[in-house]
Amino acid sequence: MSQEDETELSSLKRSEFVLRKERLYRQLLAGCALLTIAITAGIILALSGQALVFFESVSPIDFLTGQDWSPLSNEPSFGILPLVSGTLIVVVGSAVVALPVGLGAAIYLSEYANPRVRAIVKPVLEILAGIPTVVYGYFALVYLTPILRDGFSLPVLPEFIANALPLVSEFTLVVPGLFPEVNTFNALSASIVVGVMIIPMVSSISEDALSAVPDSLREAAYGLGSTKFDVSTKVVVPAATSGIVSSYVLALSRAIGETMIVVMAAGESPKIPTVPNIFDNFTASIETMTVAMVNIAQAESLGESVTYESMFAIGLTLFALTLTMNYIAELISRRYREEY
Amino acid sequence: MATETEALQHSGRFRLKAIKGRAFEAILIVATLVGLVALVMLFGFMFFDAVSPGSASAEWYLLFFGTLVGPVSAFTLYGRRHPAVRSANARASAAVFGGLALSLSTFVVLKAMSPYGPLVYLITVGSLPLAVAAYGRYTGSSYFVGPAMVLATLLAIVWTLGSEVLLVPLLDATFELGNQLLGGVPVLGSVPVPVDRGLLVFAIAVGLPTLAVANSVLRRQLSLDRLLVVVAVLLLSAAGTSGLDQLLRPYLEPLPLWAAYGGVVGPPVIGLLGLVVTRRRGLRSGLVAAAAAVGGALAVAVGALTISVNPRLLVVLALGMGVPTAYVVGETVTTDPDGRVGVAGPFIIVGGILLGAYIEQSLSVAGPDTWVTPTLLVESWDGLFPTEAGAYPSTVGSIMIVGLMALMAFPVGVGAAIYLEEYAPDSGWRGRLASVIELNIANLAGVPSVVYGLLGLALFQNFLDYGPGLVFSASATLGFLILPIVIVSAQEALKAVPDSLREASYGMGASRWQTVRSVVLPEAVPGILTGTILALGRAIGETAPLIVIAVATATSSAPDGLFSTGAALPLRLFAASANFDPAYRTGVVAALAIVLLVLMLTMNAIAIIIRNKYQE
Repeated sequence: MSQEDETELSSLKRSEFVLRKERLYRQLLAGCALLTIAITAGIILALSGQALVFFESVSPIDFLTGQDWSPLSNEPSFGILPLVSGTLIVVVGSAVVALPVGLGAAIYLSEYANPRVRAIVKPVLEILAGIPTVVYGYFALVYLTPILRDGFSLPVLPEFIANALPLVSEFTLVVPGLFPEVNTFNALSASIVVGVMIIPMVSSISEDALSAVPDSLREAAYGLGSTKFDVSTKVVVPAATSGIVSSYVLALSRAIGETMIVVMAAGESPKIPTVPNIFDNFTASIETMTVAMVNIAQAESLGESVTYESMFAIGLTLFALTLTMNYIAELISRRYREEY
Repeated sequence: MATETEALQHSGRFRLKAIKGRAFEAILIVATLVGLVALVMLFGFMFFDAVSPGSASAEWYLLFFGTLVGPVSAFTLYGRRHPAVRSANARASAAVFGGLALSLSTFVVLKAMSPYGPLVYLITVGSLPLAVAAYGRYTGSSYFVGPAMVLATLLAIVWTLGSEVLLVPLLDATFELGNQLLGGVPVLGSVPVPVDRGLLVFAIAVGLPTLAVANSVLRRQLSLDRLLVVVAVLLLSAAGTSGLDQLLRPYLEPLPLWAAYGGVVGPPVIGLLGLVVTRRRGLRSGLVAAAAAVGGALAVAVGALTISVNPRLLVVLALGMGVPTAYVVGETVTTDPDGRVGVAGPFIIVGGILLGAYIEQSLSVAGPDTWVTPTLLVESWDGLFPTEAGAYPSTVGSIMIVGLMALMAFPVGVGAAIYLEEYAPDSGWRGRLASVIELNIANLAGVPSVVYGLLGLALFQNFLDYGPGLVFSASATLGFLILPIVIVSAQEALKAVPDSLREASYGMGASRWQTVRSVVLPEAVPGILTGTILALGRAIGETAPLIVIAVATATSSAPDGLFSTGAALPLRLFAASANFDPAYRTGVVAALAIVLLVLMLTMNAIAIIIRNKYQE
């Protein structure tokens, strides 16, 4: 009798222990999940805390409307407009490269390519998004800029084959320089490379959106006598507009925040864009918001100066900008999602 | 009818439509090719400059194809027709090359840090949970062991790393924040903190765990052995907080260096081997295997000592590569007669490379005039002689930063994913919280990396008052950066586990955690691994946040601890790309870029292989 009681008691205790154990694990795991909120809170606190200190010495209006950015000079001036316009130049340039190319690749992969081609090409394109940005920056600075300026020549065959065959020994691939006027540091090569980097963001997300369009729509269009061209451009793409647009916004937000490529290839001369000759802005050296931050971070022994705090003010602007764009992308893909 | 179609076909309008369609398709193909061509150009230019394949002689190519490419492709073709051979080959390659990569990384890190520090960490962090497990075994009641081991591990980490670098700065920062906040209040702001800081840290680090254990153990019933447990925790925490590192070090220093290396690498490897063999073949075989591994490592060490070679690297290789290779080969040869041949795969590659290198040396065949040489990874940077320039300190720094980051971000990320997928309810305030967290994770994934750098700067340098650019701050900053990626991919993996498995587990009376641990997680491991490897690949190349938290771009000494100044490969590349000497600009630096690209590609390839293997 008493023994029975005891076992019952111990099993009762045990099950209570199991309950507490479950609660402990749930709390540990929930703590992990809450850490992500803490990270966001940390970002906002860190940025706004230091930015507030900065805005005590520079008024927000001067910061947002000033046309001169020279934080490291003796009489520092903190106007963010040249940086914003520099970022804008890079964003426009990369958009010209990435948006049409990415959408074209997405339509091809979703509508035209056979499954085997798609299974190979899609992951290969996604490699572009995984390449370290510092390698992209190096490529833009050391390879692309000289190519744009001077063109390039490439011996097609290894030496020993070329030597063995006298006829082709002179055969080299020669491409002339297309933009002889570009600077060593220029917005053009930086924005082309940023564009290449964000191609997979556009193509992958758009391809997902295009593939999600139900086949019944395509079949209905074919049934009405449409060609593949008509089906792709007049049925599938319009039906997937929300996905395509949100992929555009996400990719551009990535281009805004891109740092290393621009730091290495686009230089550090903040300027307000010249208006009539828009193309001159691309051949010249510029400075974006991210470059300004890296420059300040690299300048040593600043301590707690206004210049140091201005880095956080730019960071806050950048954070707000990308957050808004991501939110818009989310809103578009949610609001205008076609329900089939 | 037929004539009608014919007429239609010949009409200009139809032909125009056909041309339009074809032109559109051609444009699409060109658009797709733009990305691929950009990829080829990127790789091609750097590869040609770094390796200059044109400069090799025809004999060298013959040798290359004869010893390496030929045999390997023949073997691969053979494996294609025999699936058992192919999978045995994959297992053996994973053991050999994975073991090689892990042992070499461990070795360079231990060499830079001196192995005694990590040995102390291992002993202190490992022994406490093991003691808990042993106690559970001894008392025969295993149900408390799981949570107690988790807590013990956390506690041990806080003790070993903690009191100096976590608790003290955290308390300092809290005091300062409190002072700042209270500064506006006239009376409170001027009150100095009454207690000694060190004492407070001691009280918190010893008191909290002791009180927690006392609360859970003594509340129900007061007995001598339970009291002993509390006293043990009290003593251990006191010892841990007063610096187990300094306490243990004098006893460990007399160990020969190679034994310290073996002491760090051995226990995890041999423990894992023992566990795996025990699970498959029983306890006796497990013990035999573990003993054989210890014996093998000792034999290697003794052998190296007798021919007076420094046995450090050999011991690490024997444990890190030899043991897994021996296990996989032995297991395959004895249990898998169909795939037996497959284990030769990695040896064909290694043998081909060695044979080719030997013939190249002895016949002095002119190889390519390449910049991708061992110098690149084992020498420090040389600003004057490009052929002597290497990125050893940066390589070690990258390994340390990314390794520590993985240790921190992986458990947290997977934990968060498990909470969101398995625990969080759909409704109620918890459900709302979960959806806020998910939205927040999506937003975090879109935050520019340079902003994470600012977070790291503010958190570690301004708030916690650490020095600039420490390995630990770099790891934590990159950890914040990749956390959303890890969480989202782990969530995908967990979502892919069918509900029927969960329901079956619940139906057998398993609790939620038991279901997660023994049913859901094992199913989701490949998917989680895929995402984690991709995230690691991203972290290796990440540069901007490291610049912002002031990790040295050009350093000539490897970091020698988790709290010393860091270094990283991409930073070296960044610093060196400004050099205008073509030998650096398109030579050494291109080789560095190729190294980074190959690292990234290898990680992507591993991730894709794992995904394909387990997707079926």
